[in-house]
Amino acid sequence: MNIIICGVGGNGVILTTRILAQAAINEGFNVRIGASHGLAIRGGTVVSYLRIGSDAKGVIMPQRSGDILLAFEPLEALRQMKLMKDNAKVLLNNEPYIGVDAHLGLSKYPEIEEIISRLSETQELVEIEASKLAIKAGSQVMTNVVMLGSLASSKELPIKRDTLLNTILDMVPPQTVESNKRAFEYGEQAFHEKQN
Amino acid sequence: MKVNKNLLRDAGERVLLTGNEAIARGIIEAGAGITTAFPGTPSTQILDNLGPLAHQLGFHAEHSVNEAVAFEVAAGAALAGVRSVMVTKMLGVNLISDPLLVIAITGVNAGLVVVTADDPGQHSSQNAEDTRYFGMLGKIPVLEPMDGQEAKDMTKYAFELSEELQLPVFVRITSRICHSYFDVTFGEITPPKREGHFEKDPKRYVMISTLSRARQPILTEKINRAAVINESNPWNKVILIDKGEITTKTNPFKTEFGIIASGLTYPYVEEVLEKTKISAKVLKLATTYPLPKQLLNDYFKGLEKVLIVEECEPVTEMQIRAFAQREGIEVIIHGKEDQTMPRIGELNPDLVGGGIEKLFKVKFSEELTKPYLEVEAMLTKRVPALCAGCPHRASYYSIKEALRKNKKGGVILGDRGCYNQGVHEPIAGIDTCICMGASIAMASGMYQSGVKEPILAVIGDGTFLHSGIPSLLNAVQHRSKITVIIFDNSITGMTGHQPNACTGRNLMGDPTPEVDLADIVNGLGIENVKVVESFHTELLQDTITRHLEDDGPKVIISRGECAILAGRERRITKEKVTRARVAVETCTGCKVCMKKLGCPAFGWSSSGENEHLVILPNCNGCALCVQVCPKLAISIPMEKQIPLKTKQVVAGR
Repeated sequence: MNIIICGVGGNGVILTTRILAQAAINEGFNVRIGASHGLAIRGGTVVSYLRIGSDAKGVIMPQRSGDILLAFEPLEALRQMKLMKDNAKVLLNNEPYIGVDAHLGLSKYPEIEEIISRLSETQELVEIEASKLAIKAGSQVMTNVVMLGSLASSKELPIKRDTLLNTILDMVPPQTVESNKRAFEYGEQAFHEKQN
Repeated sequence: MKVNKNLLRDAGERVLLTGNEAIARGIIEAGAGITTAFPGTPSTQILDNLGPLAHQLGFHAEHSVNEAVAFEVAAGAALAGVRSVMVTKMLGVNLISDPLLVIAITGVNAGLVVVTADDPGQHSSQNAEDTRYFGMLGKIPVLEPMDGQEAKDMTKYAFELSEELQLPVFVRITSRICHSYFDVTFGEITPPKREGHFEKDPKRYVMISTLSRARQPILTEKINRAAVINESNPWNKVILIDKGEITTKTNPFKTEFGIIASGLTYPYVEEVLEKTKISAKVLKLATTYPLPKQLLNDYFKGLEKVLIVEECEPVTEMQIRAFAQREGIEVIIHGKEDQTMPRIGELNPDLVGGGIEKLFKVKFSEELTKPYLEVEAMLTKRVPALCAGCPHRASYYSIKEALRKNKKGGVILGDRGCYNQGVHEPIAGIDTCICMGASIAMASGMYQSGVKEPILAVIGDGTFLHSGIPSLLNAVQHRSKITVIIFDNSITGMTGHQPNACTGRNLMGDPTPEVDLADIVNGLGIENVKVVESFHTELLQDTITRHLEDDGPKVIISRGECAILAGRERRITKEKVTRARVAVETCTGCKVCMKKLGCPAFGWSSSGENEHLVILPNCNGCALCVQVCPKLAISIPMEKQIPLKTKQVVAGR
């Protein structure tokens, strides 16, 4: 299985990937994470590739081989489209980060509706209001945990729900365990509401 | 100082680690006594991880003042019989090549390993050089791991090889290995030995020409011996792939096609062959210099064509071509030189697949159909920006305003550090960026060549210490009329806040003297040094303007704390930032703030009655936009603004 996790600097892309990888290891799978970051902290694009089981080969995936896309930002989701199989599951935090460069016309940020329609054209898109739910759970920092809750609910992962949740709770600061659990559950609920 | 406890787990444990962490563990397992580096992406975290463990485990760790110094410190240890390692990104190898190529001649008395991280695809570097050329240049063996496990194990082995040959050894990795995660099984830790003793032997260590000449045959003998040792290197492996699947049956397996892959490209090759169902005899080559000749002679038997897969330059390919010619092996060699593989950029499974597609009638890459191609065409890159609250933004703003008001143009020579993000619009504050320390010397060259515009050099504190000092001394001696502005945040920021001589502590956490840049500049013969707080933009502009016409080199130190570090401190002290506030009815939507500052805390609202600026939650309250807004529409109450600490110019210290 090939999972792509993407966003901009500060979204916690690498940490999220590590959590998923650790959960997969805890379930006995082989894993590989491909990553490279130069300017991550300065609002740039960040992407990592998690390869689980028999796909755990090279650290870079071939194009059009992704099974799941966990995207923290709409434009970044679009940027990784070329890595996705047709009808792959895309979980999207629908909170755009429009940089000052786009406001100045130095780069172009497409209309959000356009991004959604492009993603839906070839993929199975599920939009999650993860940033908002994370704030409700206690802090926007937990956006990634909300997304992981939604991912667990999607039944796409070869990882058990409790394994993933326990791995998250193991890896976060002890005083945030309760709020992270809440964030995870909000993510689960949000996914179910979308499916109904 | 944060200790990475993962690195101290027991032998036999399987741990998820980055390539950088795996190499740090390999260095610990080898029991190195001296570990050095200069920070540089992608390999910085190797020493970042070692530093906090140094006292606990009993080794020495330093981010040295520059790469050449880092290597020389390690070389001193190796002559004194203590295992040592120097870690660098590939550009640092250019600096260490001077001592390295001579230490190869003296040889070493304990393992001396140079870990060098190349950056194919240039994720964070100004070129894409291949450091394996330096192996050939200096007769220094090169080992190339393919993943985290090999990175750890080969680093440990490199010390043993170095001791066997009494020669420095390169471990060559690439950025993708540094930052990717692998599961790594740990070996035993060897306690470091630091009982150095230097046995004098001028004929060996005093490399004046006559004595050095006498040692050249020894070096040649060593590298020839390395080739023999490489014959039995356990990481060189021949893998038979029968219609895509790995097989151990040599009979009836038969193919005329071979692939030689090094580094992390080997797994790409396996993946491509598996999907395209091609049969091949694959040589996973870990010792890319010097080549094991007998192994290659055996490998080439029965092969008619061979594809060479490697990152960066065709270094293996050129050697293989020469080898085949020398041995009289008739084989067609494909690779980068005949453009079967791309010579520019970072390899990936699709590019390796593309090479195979050129040689066989097969298809590897899944097609990008119309909807995917349309999406590709829509994408533009995000422009990286200096952080919200970064003092460098205030410095650039002041420089550009001073030059604008001065009406005589201006050339701004830039340097390497966070502040080279200042090249992007809207700041567009530098005209060059070549290498560490080039700004000041090149500014001198422009002045001496007769450039009439005001000539400025901008350089950070870490870079000034690294290699700006000799350039400034040179400008003093030759009376170059240049204005040097040192962006001083007293830490090496770009690579993740490594301490330097200005910081007041070292990598191991020991307190050290805080070197004052003004004192250094004074010592170089410039009496008139000005120190101005970066956010005091009026004073900074004024100081720059007054200096532009003065003869000789002038130095202004623009001082401000890194916004990321200030933010971290505030989280500890629970101090709240007062973000800038926009008076919506006063903001005319002129975007002057955006055009002059391009702060990532700027958002925009186009809904409602009038378009206006929006301040985002990442605002650090630096109040630079408050100073810049022509309509006074942005505010932070005076008492809530981060106070300016050094308001006045410090002159003639």
